[in-house]
Amino acid sequence: MGLVAQMDQISGGSFILTRMDEVINWARANSLWPLVFGTSCCAIEMMMATGAARHDLARFGAEVVRPSPRQADLLILAGTIVKRMAPRLRTLYEQMAEPRYVIATGACTISGGPFVYNSYTTIRGADQIIPVDIYVPGCPPRPESLLYGILALQKMIKSGESLREPGIRKKPVVSELPPGVKLEDITLELRQILGDEGITNIPEEIARREWSTGL
Amino acid sequence: MTVHISTLNDRTTVPENSKSSLNTQEFFINMGPQHPSTHGVLRLVLKMDGETIREVIPVLGYIHRSIEKICEHNTYRQIVHLTDRMDYLSAVMNNWAVSMAVEKAAQIELTDRIEYIRTILAEMQRLQSHQLWWGVTGMDLGAFTPFLYGFRDREMLTDIFEETMGARLTLNYIQPAGLMFDIHPDFVKKTKDYLKYFKPKLEEYEALLSANPIFQQRLRDVGILDREKAVSLGATGPVLRACGIPYDLRRVEPYGVYEKVSFKIAVGSVGDCWDRYSVRMEEMRQSIQIIEQLIDNIPEGKFITKKPAAKITIPEGRYYSQMETARGVLGVLIVSTGKEKPYRFHLRSPNFNNLWTITQMAPGSRLGDLVAMVSTLDLVIPDMDR
Repeated sequence: MGLVAQMDQISGGSFILTRMDEVINWARANSLWPLVFGTSCCAIEMMMATGAARHDLARFGAEVVRPSPRQADLLILAGTIVKRMAPRLRTLYEQMAEPRYVIATGACTISGGPFVYNSYTTIRGADQIIPVDIYVPGCPPRPESLLYGILALQKMIKSGESLREPGIRKKPVVSELPPGVKLEDITLELRQILGDEGITNIPEEIARREWSTGL
Repeated sequence: MTVHISTLNDRTTVPENSKSSLNTQEFFINMGPQHPSTHGVLRLVLKMDGETIREVIPVLGYIHRSIEKICEHNTYRQIVHLTDRMDYLSAVMNNWAVSMAVEKAAQIELTDRIEYIRTILAEMQRLQSHQLWWGVTGMDLGAFTPFLYGFRDREMLTDIFEETMGARLTLNYIQPAGLMFDIHPDFVKKTKDYLKYFKPKLEEYEALLSANPIFQQRLRDVGILDREKAVSLGATGPVLRACGIPYDLRRVEPYGVYEKVSFKIAVGSVGDCWDRYSVRMEEMRQSIQIIEQLIDNIPEGKFITKKPAAKITIPEGRYYSQMETARGVLGVLIVSTGKEKPYRFHLRSPNFNNLWTITQMAPGSRLGDLVAMVSTLDLVIPDMDR
């Protein structure tokens, strides 16, 4: 998928027609250059394990990891951000060339993680400092999760900005369900599993709580 | 006793009549906090004279997460999971250090099975930590292949860990009074298979990187650390042993089942980067030997001696215990008022003391050599700042 699906063939075969937006977004999505920003544990799992041979980030066109923000267009936040580091992070983000994308990996960059209570230094979520496009949860997330996050970002870029309206991004529904599966089915199955294992009294739990997410 | 306090501003102002060699002027540069070779967010302010380093001023605090303060609000069982995130490359040993401190203070008895499994896992983690260090050191000094080799072998060990503990990096396996779960039925077999696989690979490591003349030249006689200075700065672990001091807590104050196994302590002679490199390579071999001696003899028994829900209280007083992680001595100080939560919880991290040796060894050498020094010190920054 990608560019080929967006092409129209003209009879004779010498020309192809496509839109400029599609070409640019296709090129952007497949040549992401990440910036190394590893502050703690997630850096080992995310940057190093994904860069190594087994999980191989290079398959998705994002292996050119750069230490300089001037050469990068994807900021992968890996690790806790504390108050002293926050201005530096903001500077790094502002030094990156547009269009720039941000992936927040791990519980710490999303919400503060294990350091959310009683900590006087931790920033509760990187999105308080810079805009974040994709969140990858985990503590630390498995390398597969980051790969999924990058694929989701590529999807977002491909369907996202247009030349006429730069800066406006359409965020895709990342957790798209496979065909034939409904959210209600998953909910029922989850309740079944929970009920079978006897961890919680399901009817009581349902009566006690309000399920805001539809679960 | 007088204490001289100077701010970073004072120290980075160049006096007008500063001593500079011909045609050069002293100036300051920042290395970090965003720098690939510092492996994290370490900031080194360097006073330079041309290409020569005159002074190194480490500036910390860019990943200070106030773990010690959070610990004061948590019970002794809850503290353990925070220690995974300090020195994440030796997570098992960090868990063990805290658990050991609590067990000693609360006088909890352990079974032999617990001690054996803990020792085996600690050595496996040491092996894994050194594998990562070996790969990253190669990468810092311009050889990318070791990184791929080191991670190839590390991932296999991670698989064995994942099977038993359910996590890849932040293992959170050892808790006060025992272990979270028993080991996986395949654990013993897979570990033995792995050791059989890894032994020839270690020789491959030597042939690939140690025998490389360019790599040797970048490490030999670079960053020589004086023996007295290493001791006075409180350096521990491979950094201290590379200076020729055979101080290893596994031998000096044995814990776990280290008394029952025979192993050698790797010691360097000069104290340069090459010695630190060789000491770690030898430690990998010794770790394999220790695991081989223990893996067949894991006794039967309970894997936890107290109910997980049982409250742990420590009698009033101050308690200190320490152990040898992959980087040096990790000390745990608990000040208890007899309650479920500690009154004060202090950690003596090996990396913090090891870092300050760089202020002694770097002056006089070139900027490029600083990367080799930082690399062979094997620093984990979140452990320093906590």
